[in-house]
Amino acid sequence: MDLVANLSQGFAVALTWSTLLLAVSGCFAGTIIGSLPGLGPSNGVAILIPLAFSLGLDATEVLVLMTSVYYGAMYGGRISSILLNIPGDEPALMTTLDGYPMAKQGRASDALVLSGVSSFVGAFLATIGLMLLAPLLARVAYLFGPAEYFALYLLAFCTLGGLASRNQIKAALASAAGLGIAMIGLDNQTGLPRLTFGELALMDGVDFLVAIVGLFAVSEIFIFIESHGKDTAIGVKLEKITIPVKDIVNSGLTMLRGTLIGFVAGILPGAGASLGSFLAYMGEKTLAKDGDTFGTGNPKGVAAPEAGNNAAAGGALVPMLTLGVPGSGTTAVLLAVLLTLNITPGPLLFEERPEVVWGLIASLLIANIVLLVMNVPMVRLFVKVLSVPPYVLLPGIAMIAFGGIYSLSGSSHDLILMVIFGLVGYFCRKLGVPTVPIILGILLGNNMEDNLRRAMIISDGDWTYLFSSGISIGLWAAAIGGFVAPLFLRNLLKKPKAPSQ
Amino acid sequence: MKADRIFGLGVIVIATFYLYHATLIPMGFLSDPVGSRTFPYIIGGVSLLCGILICIFTDTITNWPELKVYGKIGIAILAMYLFAITLRPYGFIVPSAIVAVILSYLISPNIKKAVITGLSLSIGLFLILNYGLGLGLYAFG
Amino acid sequence: MKFSHKLIGASFTLLMGFGTVGNTAECIAPANPGGGWDFTCRAIGKIMYDIGAVDEPIKVTNMAGGGGGLAYGHVVNERNDDGDLIVAASSATATRLAQNAYAGMTSDQVSFLGAIGADPGVLVVAADSPYMNLMDLLNAVMDDPTSVTFAGGSATGGFDHLKVLMALGQVGYEDVLSVKYVGLDGGADAITQTIGGHTQAMTGDISEVVGFLKAGDVRVVAVFTDERIPGFEDIPTAKEQGVDLVAVNWRGLYVPKGISNEDYNKWADALAAVAASDEWAKAMADNGLAPFTKVGDEFQDYLAGVIADVQKLSREIGVIQ
Repeated sequence: MDLVANLSQGFAVALTWSTLLLAVSGCFAGTIIGSLPGLGPSNGVAILIPLAFSLGLDATEVLVLMTSVYYGAMYGGRISSILLNIPGDEPALMTTLDGYPMAKQGRASDALVLSGVSSFVGAFLATIGLMLLAPLLARVAYLFGPAEYFALYLLAFCTLGGLASRNQIKAALASAAGLGIAMIGLDNQTGLPRLTFGELALMDGVDFLVAIVGLFAVSEIFIFIESHGKDTAIGVKLEKITIPVKDIVNSGLTMLRGTLIGFVAGILPGAGASLGSFLAYMGEKTLAKDGDTFGTGNPKGVAAPEAGNNAAAGGALVPMLTLGVPGSGTTAVLLAVLLTLNITPGPLLFEERPEVVWGLIASLLIANIVLLVMNVPMVRLFVKVLSVPPYVLLPGIAMIAFGGIYSLSGSSHDLILMVIFGLVGYFCRKLGVPTVPIILGILLGNNMEDNLRRAMIISDGDWTYLFSSGISIGLWAAAIGGFVAPLFLRNLLKKPKAPSQ
Repeated sequence: MKADRIFGLGVIVIATFYLYHATLIPMGFLSDPVGSRTFPYIIGGVSLLCGILICIFTDTITNWPELKVYGKIGIAILAMYLFAITLRPYGFIVPSAIVAVILSYLISPNIKKAVITGLSLSIGLFLILNYGLGLGLYAFG
Repeated sequence: MKFSHKLIGASFTLLMGFGTVGNTAECIAPANPGGGWDFTCRAIGKIMYDIGAVDEPIKVTNMAGGGGGLAYGHVVNERNDDGDLIVAASSATATRLAQNAYAGMTSDQVSFLGAIGADPGVLVVAADSPYMNLMDLLNAVMDDPTSVTFAGGSATGGFDHLKVLMALGQVGYEDVLSVKYVGLDGGADAITQTIGGHTQAMTGDISEVVGFLKAGDVRVVAVFTDERIPGFEDIPTAKEQGVDLVAVNWRGLYVPKGISNEDYNKWADALAAVAASDEWAKAMADNGLAPFTKVGDEFQDYLAGVIADVQKLSREIGVIQ
């Protein structure tokens, strides 16, 4: 069979002692970079591009190194989400919701192992999906025009309402705030700046990394100064590190569902890993029997987004390789590395450069296995972070975040903005305003607006264009079913309970 | 109760400010059917509504810290602000050492530990970030 | 396979780090790592060192923000007499300066050094499109501007958009406001939308369409160069179809305004040496660039012309007010 031949060709290229060494170094470095707040894929590429230039690695070697760093970073993002409630990068955002509560209950190592396994399941299955279906799936991207994308983002925002359990008004406000921030910057459809107050630094909009680090990491420092660490996971007594077999078995279906949702989101260029993990989390919250305990440390709330974001990372390789469209920030980085290697992704890549494609797939599989093997013993290392005294840990995280953000723009504006976000994050926490919707608003807001406006330009202002395809009608139905219906259902379900309370 | 009222009022003020600025967004000649202002208007409107609703349906029972804590947070903010503007002219090591000492002291008031933490963090992290991760920071400007 | 030095070196470097500190020459890429400006800095910087045009390796700094405006302001305000500084630039730099998008800074506040490569502009339709050549497409717009939506990888008013308007202007169509254009996140996105039939034509650079062209998914109706491009002899130029337009996305450098003539000439010579090198010829071929060498005064005259054209059009579409 072709597949076996191709794959063995791939492994022949990718599986040598020297590349294994690169894979291990890459996985390790990627995990560390991914876990550090403020350091993301852009910093990863800052390492890889000069390496490709200066050390003259050949294409396969760079591919192996690159995929290891890429998947390593995807695995690594969860670590600081779980241990410190600070997402290491944006796809790990949803993992804070249940991962951190688990850590506070002393189950940090369980959460880390479970999320490691979920990451593996998501990434591994997605790689297999990529291998079997990529040329076919590439056609899916052609079906998605502005109308379909708008419906997809609308669906995401509609389910956001279900995220907040306590105060819907404040959750809505948080999403609006995120969307409002997303509007800042150059307006794609007029070419004119919006809400930038004449500041050149705001022309490109607000970088979500700045917002994440500010809202989560900097605000954590303020909370610490206030409470001296009474309400955190740092210093919580940890139980012995074991494999949480029961949680893994219980979350089996969760992982598979999260993988499917994430993979589909990943295939669509412009949706990407963040949307994948978000939809996987929200989907599982709706489907799981114990969905109402999500947000309080439910292991499934860790498994779903981690399977989702890693599957999305694999899925995002489909449009990247077959169309040259980067579906997420991380794949944009991979694309850049491929281009510097003189590999131009496109519809013919699978035919013209089979050794590259199958070498890449083989190295993805290798990286995944290396990461799984590496991550379980490394959990011991990572939970040690919680025993670092906060007066060392927090300034350290702040300095890393500042350095990472500074290296991207070389300007003080982003740093000042980060401190402002830190203050906003502090008051949000004090006032019970969830911060996750703010980030999602910033991440997805522009896409939603741009696609609506593109659709209206194409249709000359005819609104029926938004419902003119089967896909968009389906997404609209899901949006209404996922948002409006649950609101009513919740009321129906809650009412009988009320008297007993 | 009271906190939410103040918060709601703050949201109303900011949303109004946002809406006002949305009316100033330049339109260009090539305005598309939706236009540059529609989304900002909707967002500002929703925020305004949320602000009003928060004022009416208050819910938080927050333990607000004493004034001294705000002073400390103020110092932390000031330190980080100074760090932001001194990073370029003076390089990474000195500003980060100073800020790390201040933050460390604010979190745990022990001057000796804070100084050791600050110095080792700034030098250690500089080495890791610059050489390990190739961030291209300058040591002393 | 055996362990080679470079592999051990690579792993070691990755774990233990690398980097150069010191007052060597610096190239600012006004964007995140991985983009066109980053490529310009890294490729030109490396070749300058390899061919001995500079004594020490050139340090690359990324300074993203404001579409290149932050770096521009940094150079103008803080590094105006730094003779050891070069900055990556492209057509986008010139377009934004022409459109006053750098907060009032103008193109005469730095010295443009030269361009040494260019990505030729193209107009593309899907393979099953009824528009067989450039005039079919332009005539369709002239008959009914609502029937064609152009997709491009840059925002409205960006170079991709202006190319379409310039082409239409050449055939006498002046109603620029009626032309439908949607700005997407990059050329690949724009071409995907066009193949999917959501938009009717894509405006971009040839490097963005090569894969799709070879796969038979698209038809390039015109390339905006003087001559047909080597390797793509089947693609007709706009000129031979009666549309007198040359529009390329050049890659080049600028230096601070206040540096000495010796420093300026030193960099100009180094850039010219890169342009003539085999290494650069290979880098261009690898990255889909066509030769386009203009250094020093010649380049500055060319830019003045481009900036005047862009300004005129931008006023008409309201991007400059």
